Amino acid sequence: MKKTNALIFGYNEYGFEIAKNISNEYNNVIMFKLDENDDILYKNLNLTIESFDLSDDWSTLTQKYDLKDSIVFCSLEDVAKNIFLTISLRSAFKDLFIIALTNNNESANKLSMAGASKVIPIIETTANLITDMLKKPIITQVLHDILYEDSDLKIEQIKILNSEYFNEKYPADIEWSRDHGVLVISVTHEDGSSEFIYSSKTKHHLIKNGDIFTIVGYETDIKEFEKLVGVKDED
Amino acid sequence: MNFFIRLLVDFAYFLNSSIWYQRKRRFFYNILENDEYKYKKYFDIFMMFLILSSVSILIYEVRRDAHDYFQIFNNYVISFIFFVEYILRLWISSSISKVIIHQNEYSDLLERDFDLWYVIKRVTRDKLDYILSVKAIIDLLAIMPFFHELRLLRIFILFRVFKLFRYAKSFQTFSSVLATKKFEFFTLSMFAAIVIFVSSVLVYVMEANNPDSPINTLYEAIYWSIVTISTVGYGDVVAVSKEGQFVAVVVILSGISVLAFTTSLFVSAFTEKLEDIKESKVIQDIAKLQRIYIVCGYEEIAKEVSKKLIRAKFNILVLDDSIDRINEAKKDGLMALQYNPGSVDSYKKLHIDMSKQVKAILCLREDDVENVYAALTIRSINKDIYILSLLMNRVNKNKLLHSGVNEILYDKEFVGLIAKEYIGQPVAFEAIHTLRSEYSTVKMEEILITERIANTITYVEDLGNINFRIVLLGIHKKSSERFYFNPINDTLLEVGDYLLVIGNYMFIKEYIKHLSKKTRV
Repeated sequence: MKKTNALIFGYNEYGFEIAKNISNEYNNVIMFKLDENDDILYKNLNLTIESFDLSDDWSTLTQKYDLKDSIVFCSLEDVAKNIFLTISLRSAFKDLFIIALTNNNESANKLSMAGASKVIPIIETTANLITDMLKKPIITQVLHDILYEDSDLKIEQIKILNSEYFNEKYPADIEWSRDHGVLVISVTHEDGSSEFIYSSKTKHHLIKNGDIFTIVGYETDIKEFEKLVGVKDED
Repeated sequence: MNFFIRLLVDFAYFLNSSIWYQRKRRFFYNILENDEYKYKKYFDIFMMFLILSSVSILIYEVRRDAHDYFQIFNNYVISFIFFVEYILRLWISSSISKVIIHQNEYSDLLERDFDLWYVIKRVTRDKLDYILSVKAIIDLLAIMPFFHELRLLRIFILFRVFKLFRYAKSFQTFSSVLATKKFEFFTLSMFAAIVIFVSSVLVYVMEANNPDSPINTLYEAIYWSIVTISTVGYGDVVAVSKEGQFVAVVVILSGISVLAFTTSLFVSAFTEKLEDIKESKVIQDIAKLQRIYIVCGYEEIAKEVSKKLIRAKFNILVLDDSIDRINEAKKDGLMALQYNPGSVDSYKKLHIDMSKQVKAILCLREDDVENVYAALTIRSINKDIYILSLLMNRVNKNKLLHSGVNEILYDKEFVGLIAKEYIGQPVAFEAIHTLRSEYSTVKMEEILITERIANTITYVEDLGNINFRIVLLGIHKKSSERFYFNPINDTLLEVGDYLLVIGNYMFIKEYIKHLSKKTRV
């Protein structure tokens, strides 16, 4: 998934927050304005700001940026225009990775149908977070710190390259915390299927090369583990 | 005399400060008078049962001989219970000790002698006020069948039916609704009374001397008039003269208008009070609840949050000043009141103890001004209550913090963080997302270390979570308010700590049961 360019369509607070958070991950972060009359809100952020329209003419865009090496965020506030933009980009660029924002479940379905690779339903996501904060405050805080804050505790994806190390064992048979100081949450297999460790009493898969482990642990322990079994997965 | 007064005052102070006495008094007040007391309904149902069984026995006795047990039950047991209830109501109707204390403090302040006569007068007046109230008279008459030897007094059993008004709240609502139209009902009654009086006299004058007319006395004339004006018209007593029939036509026409007016009065009284009735019902229901979550504002995010919290069986109350949004909340099956979340009065009207009954307040208007205003209002009432608020515009963050909000949720920033995490580690992101999903079978749960668990499990190594196929992510220690990831085996477990575990929901349930069942050998 690592690309060079992040193209954010939508000159608004959502777009701005996305730009702010991902700016370290990409060489170029470009925000696109649909309406020329928009106020210039984020001029101090060193963002490249360009204009676009919904005319379906992407030649200027393709001349400037290699879309095969780009990720696109569709965050227009007008739901209909956002869907139109998504479908327009998908019809022009089959392999483009598009993340689209939406307010409600109805438009989330439409965005998926329009070809968005990932849809973030804002209202549902916010409501989920509020509910989690009330139902399970400690878990929510811990996960928030692991996922989003600069905490010592990290969550990482590790791709297994040295399955021999595990000597034909099942993930549930290994004492991860005692042996490696990390906890394995889930395993994603090469065929795309994934399972949570201990999720059932039956043992389905032996550890194989190509499996991706989602692990939680301290940075040093994760690095040690990585050295032993594989590499950090950044695809 | 002085010694007696001293004794009286001392005794009054003793009663007033006696925890046992005050607790008993409060208990009887709650059970007899406090509609918000959760056990009152059981007492009311019990009393209604007694009333209905008493009336059933009376009806049965009309043609048959009831068994002696029934007689004893009806005449002694029920009457005795009613008598005790009457005495208790008389006791709690006013406080004698408070009158004595008040008079004592008053006389001390003004350096006067204690006025015993005033106390007697005041206490007698207070108690008489109660004794002469309609409800107390009904209560007293309902005890009368106790003197069953006087057969006439048995008819007083029927007064027990009137006692139902005390216990069935719908009757009280009915009378309170009708009371709002007192003036209209009075006017209507006056009109009907005048029509009945004039028409009875007229028809009596016109018919009494007619040998063919069945109306021979003023009583028969009044009876005819009432039967006619009510549009019942039995036909057993009719006017036969032309003049009498003309009066009948006038009375019939008046009767139609009286009937129509009465019906419309009932309808309008109920229509006008319907919302108030529903509102007071919600307030009554809310007052009985614990761990209430008050949602201020009912817009898109609030709707979604309420839906999820209701599904998790949380007690939700929605406050919003927009009638449209409140109607929507009601339609969604929520308890909702059209109260302004930014008004102190709104919370006072709820009659709840904010510190004890309210778990959290969620300011979920999609408008920072409204959320700041609501948060400030709530903070002015209660310093400690947990407030969570939405933030719509980053520039207002400090204002919300300043207004006393504990947790701020800025959805735009959250979306930015999600985007970052998703593009960085999509597999890990999806794994965590699935763990948090309410539809997933694999869950992350918090397990509280209760005293029972702490009695049997001292260290992490005793937990035995692996046997239940559960991952222990870490422990949140109450003492340090910190999370310890992957704790070592000799980490001490204390009451109030939380275990954060991951596993199949069924395994976790089994594990919690196991922890609670385990007893120290």
